[in-house]
Amino acid sequence: MDSLHAIGFYVSSGISLAGGLGVALLPRRDQRGMALGLAGIGLAGIYLSLSAGFVALVALVCYLGCAALLAGRQYRSLEGVVGPMWRQLGAVGAAALLALLAYAAFRGDFVNATFYGGSFDVAAIGRLLFERDALATEAAAALVLVALAGATVLWRARERAR
Amino acid sequence: MASPGTRPLSAGLVAVLFVASGLVAAGAFAAAWRRDLTAALGGVPLMFAGAGVAFAGVSRFAASASGPQLIGQEFAVLLALAATALVALGLGIAGRESSR
Repeated sequence: MDSLHAIGFYVSSGISLAGGLGVALLPRRDQRGMALGLAGIGLAGIYLSLSAGFVALVALVCYLGCAALLAGRQYRSLEGVVGPMWRQLGAVGAAALLALLAYAAFRGDFVNATFYGGSFDVAAIGRLLFERDALATEAAAALVLVALAGATVLWRARERAR
Repeated sequence: MASPGTRPLSAGLVAVLFVASGLVAAGAFAAAWRRDLTAALGGVPLMFAGAGVAFAGVSRFAASASGPQLIGQEFAVLLALAATALVALGLGIAGRESSR
């Protein structure tokens, strides 16, 4: 990875991690939605610097959609029943998870090889998605279709019940 | 122009995996810290994003020279789609449940 890609990678990583922390810490839902959108933009930058342009495009669209959903005012809050102590334990568990994963990344022994792909190799990914792993692609498409149709039905039922 | 003895800035697989672990941990933190369940749902796409970055990074840096190079990128695409579906369905269920 040359210096320009490395700078893009580190800047995008900072943006993405800042957006992730914003999702966790910001008080209002529109702010959290904007933070998730920021994390999505940073994520697209990370993918771009990893020579995965098609993934960057898909991730950008998907995470901006998630951000728009989270920032919307159409849903109401659901208060959880978990007490503050368990939430704090969960936060400590997240920190422990970060330490464990970072240690594994630092100590891991990975094989290095030459990368042959281009920066935006849509044809190769298309061959993988629609030829080699067509069943997985169909399953993911069915999942998205069922989720969006289910969400639409649930929203309509809620509007009718009002 | 870089002075003699300085190395050019670079990022390797370890840096990518550090960022991926940071995203997973930030998602787990968001899911655990928020009292509102619909807000906690926002942490799940972050965890999926961390997994996707790890897959794409391994595909970029540690891919076998003889095997397919883009399996990690393919899996990252599927993870992003699954995250969107999960948020849409979760918010739909939350909206319906809260109207009772």
